[in-house]
Amino acid sequence: MFVKPMPPFPDTSLADRQSRFQALVLPHLDRLFGFAGRRTNSASDAEDAVQDACLRAWAAFDELRDESVVRAWLYRILRSVLSDTHKKDGRRRQLVSITRLEDAHETMVGGDPDFAFAEVVGRLDREALHAALARLPDDFAIAVELHDIDGFKYQEIAEITMVPIGTVMSRISRGRRLLAGALVDNRAAWALGTDGNDERRNLARRLHGGRKQ
Amino acid sequence: MSNVRGETGAFSLPDPDNEAERERRHQVLATLLAAYADGEVPIETASHIDAHLLGCVRCRRELDVHRALRRTLARDSIPAASAELRTRILAGIDAAPPPAPARVATTGPWSVSATWWRDQTRVVRGALALAAVGLLASLALAIGNGAIDRREPSATPLAEVAVPSLPLFGQVLEDYRLVSAHDLPGRSRDLATVREAVPFPVEALSLAGLRLLATWTTDLDGEPAAVLAYRWRDQLVLHYVVSEQQLFRPSEVRRAFAGGRLLAARAGAQSMIAWPTAAGGALIVGELPIEELARVRAAAAGPR
Repeated sequence: MFVKPMPPFPDTSLADRQSRFQALVLPHLDRLFGFAGRRTNSASDAEDAVQDACLRAWAAFDELRDESVVRAWLYRILRSVLSDTHKKDGRRRQLVSITRLEDAHETMVGGDPDFAFAEVVGRLDREALHAALARLPDDFAIAVELHDIDGFKYQEIAEITMVPIGTVMSRISRGRRLLAGALVDNRAAWALGTDGNDERRNLARRLHGGRKQ
Repeated sequence: MSNVRGETGAFSLPDPDNEAERERRHQVLATLLAAYADGEVPIETASHIDAHLLGCVRCRRELDVHRALRRTLARDSIPAASAELRTRILAGIDAAPPPAPARVATTGPWSVSATWWRDQTRVVRGALALAAVGLLASLALAIGNGAIDRREPSATPLAEVAVPSLPLFGQVLEDYRLVSAHDLPGRSRDLATVREAVPFPVEALSLAGLRLLATWTTDLDGEPAAVLAYRWRDQLVLHYVVSEQQLFRPSEVRRAFAGGRLLAARAGAQSMIAWPTAAGGALIVGELPIEELARVRAAAAGPR
């Protein structure tokens, strides 16, 4: 866990603690912003969430005794902030039927042996991938993103999401299957640049064009 | 049956002597393919999967899917946080009090969002922004740092309220009376299962003489809660863990916590105490004097 039972934090000046906090936290801002950006509706919402998380982290800074886990600790706080925001806003993602995605995945894996999934996925741009991720239930999307995008190990993801490691394993497995289903389900749209365009443009705006000045 | 144990858990592999067993074996191994692709299974499990993959086209394709997605997502570019965000965070840290455990908020609104902060800075930059950030940080301190919790419990003042004034207290008391009038829930779950079932951390109280009897989940006013039942000096004490939002909803609660007090209430022979935890709220209720209940509550003051 992130909090270890250790003696009280040694007396250091406020300036030293601020410097230490900044040195530990600021290098992770981009990734935190990226994670928040995939779970909010605009860049400004993502920035607000990251700011809230950093201020909460500062308030609880003395609880962090092991600096090697600072990144996972920050993600856990950010996830809590985002969860609070979603509850407050009553935000609901537009999800597609899980059964439909699972069926699409099953059909693909058990179907045409010449269909080169890796090749198709390799040609997709980030907006297409993010749009597909956005169609997954949050628990599955978060587990997949924390591992595949943010590079956390299963044990770290278990600590960030506060679930057993077996649950993490199951969520990543099912999450990737659902993601594959979502991509296959929409591959005609991605390839033709038709149905998915609005969704892709919205996503691009969310992270790059939606920033409030 | 063969058992495979690794850091991701123990897996039972069916005997592959017949078709049904082979299919079951396939199903078990298929669920491990993601962990296998990620190098998160132990060597002996990987050997089982290697052998299975030789004869299973479907699993090989499934594995390709996992690898392709992992490879593609790993290339995802990381958007840069704006310089303005960095400035706002640094200003917030500068304006906030140090994260000293004894500090608590003394005044102001409980919930000050970053949006509110940002809007305020547009209108009146400078002093107002600093004050807002100070409020936000000190309020966050009260919840996030659990500063109130860290005080010596016997020294933590109690704010006594009437049960009817707080709906949550009324619901907890009603639930306690219902549970204590009957046998404890027959199919009590283990703590790990309960933790998985609710969207906030659940920590058991730890105190010499306080014995955890059972845990389960319930709902209070339609919101999930975890319940932990303890035996304390031949009395039943129930410990309810609720979400931060549910506990802090009434302004009376926020005022009490911001003032460094815990909430307490009496109803006949029963007493209850509520306090904020690192990422949620907790209440204990039992047929005990409030002072004794406060000692039980002291168990929550340990490191989190």
